[in-house]
Amino acid sequence: MRLSRSLAAAFGAVIGGALLLGQAAPEAARETPPPPLGTELGELPAGAMKPLADQACLHCHSADMIRQQRLTEKQWTAEVAKMVGWGAVVPEDQRAALVAYLLEHFGPDNDRFRPVAAQPVGK
Amino acid sequence: MAGMSRRGFLLAAAGAAAASALPIPPPRRRLLQMNGYPIDAETPLELLGETYITPNDLFFVRHHWNPVFPDAATWALKVDGEVERPLALSLGDLKAMPRASATCVLQCAGNGRALHRPIVPGVQWTYGAAGNARWTGVRVRDVLEKAGLKAGAKHLHTFGTDKPPEKVPPFHRSLELDKVREDGIIAFEMNGAPLPLLHGAPARLVVPGWAGDHWMKWLDRISPQPSAQTGFYMDTAYRFPKNPGEPGVTFKPDEMSPVTELFVKSNITEAPPRARVGRKATIRGIAFSGAPDVARVDVSDDGGKTWAAATLGKDHDPFAWRLWSFAYLPKAAGKTTLVARATDSRGSVQPKDAVWNQSGYFYNAWPSVEIEVSA
Repeated sequence: MRLSRSLAAAFGAVIGGALLLGQAAPEAARETPPPPLGTELGELPAGAMKPLADQACLHCHSADMIRQQRLTEKQWTAEVAKMVGWGAVVPEDQRAALVAYLLEHFGPDNDRFRPVAAQPVGK
Repeated sequence: MAGMSRRGFLLAAAGAAAASALPIPPPRRRLLQMNGYPIDAETPLELLGETYITPNDLFFVRHHWNPVFPDAATWALKVDGEVERPLALSLGDLKAMPRASATCVLQCAGNGRALHRPIVPGVQWTYGAAGNARWTGVRVRDVLEKAGLKAGAKHLHTFGTDKPPEKVPPFHRSLELDKVREDGIIAFEMNGAPLPLLHGAPARLVVPGWAGDHWMKWLDRISPQPSAQTGFYMDTAYRFPKNPGEPGVTFKPDEMSPVTELFVKSNITEAPPRARVGRKATIRGIAFSGAPDVARVDVSDDGGKTWAAATLGKDHDPFAWRLWSFAYLPKAAGKTTLVARATDSRGSVQPKDAVWNQSGYFYNAWPSVEIEVSA
């Protein structure tokens, strides 16, 4: 189910497009414009657990929410348990592998996430 | 802006209507996005202190899930619960009532979460999940009087139109009726413009001095009740330790109470990376608190042993932030660390270290900046 993602993308495209029309200032034209607000910045990293993580997590929020975390195994275990309680579908026998995947990429030493400068919106 | 100094421009802009003052040029007019959907995006630190009023398009955005935007034409604010006459007020009905405005800070309770150590989960806000805006609408107290508030109601339950997916708990909140009757506003304008959709149009709650979780967006129902709302966003989230503990040690629910008033806080938003001995170097920032006013901001170059007073900006309103500046005169060459500290009108002083909590709320440690001083 990707309804929420496509809605978010469409929303971003509409406001982004409106801004491009309204803000064609010469200074802005010289640099690559940042993506419009509401654009997903990146996806979850490749791995055996990616399909499960995509399916379980990205219905409610973008991968960015995960990519910015720097959590211990204990914290990831608690997060996964909380999200399963809120409806994320993770088969019991794959929970440990999902936590291991999240810990591998988004453990305490994760410093890869950079919030991008997104075009602001006023309306 | 060509031919005009930054300071000159700011002074000129200060005289213009707040919403039309746009001293920040397009290349720098950006938000730092933390989350693609739902949208979470903060104002870059260096832009926070440039204007007393944060422009609408640079104001931080925080959504719990993809919002359901109400149709302003059919939208109505329902008032029920402990009232004599339940009401459904259209936007036109609200606009026909006496107006009220407040210029004040809206800060997400989790602003600065990324700075807590040990690290905590959640949106990794740094500095810019805060902004200062002029909010216009009607007083909550006037709406409740219109409905005939009954004695015995103590809490105002608030509801917005955003709905979480499936089993995720709804963002239902309540706050003390005394506070919201004192200065709460149901706002339909932000900085003189219609409230933007991203910020809760057609109307949101404004609770001056209190954290953003109380400022319900896309507000469509208020309900005075004898007791507080229950649920995840009251009983588990948005709670802060009653007493500081050991960083990293999780607090139990009964060791915490709901976050309400903001903590006194300053940020350094601009500082030169280099300076010279004997030449003034100006640093700037913002300061605010859950108390109505900021009394002073001080700066130290010796880790807090001695302090010198910063100059507060002219603009101020109850619960708004105060711009400040400090002309630092370096005395010796080498790396110098400056720290700032705000004190509010109730005498609360910004602490050297923030109180660690597992949800990462209310980070307010002294901000610091490093300057390379050469001879």
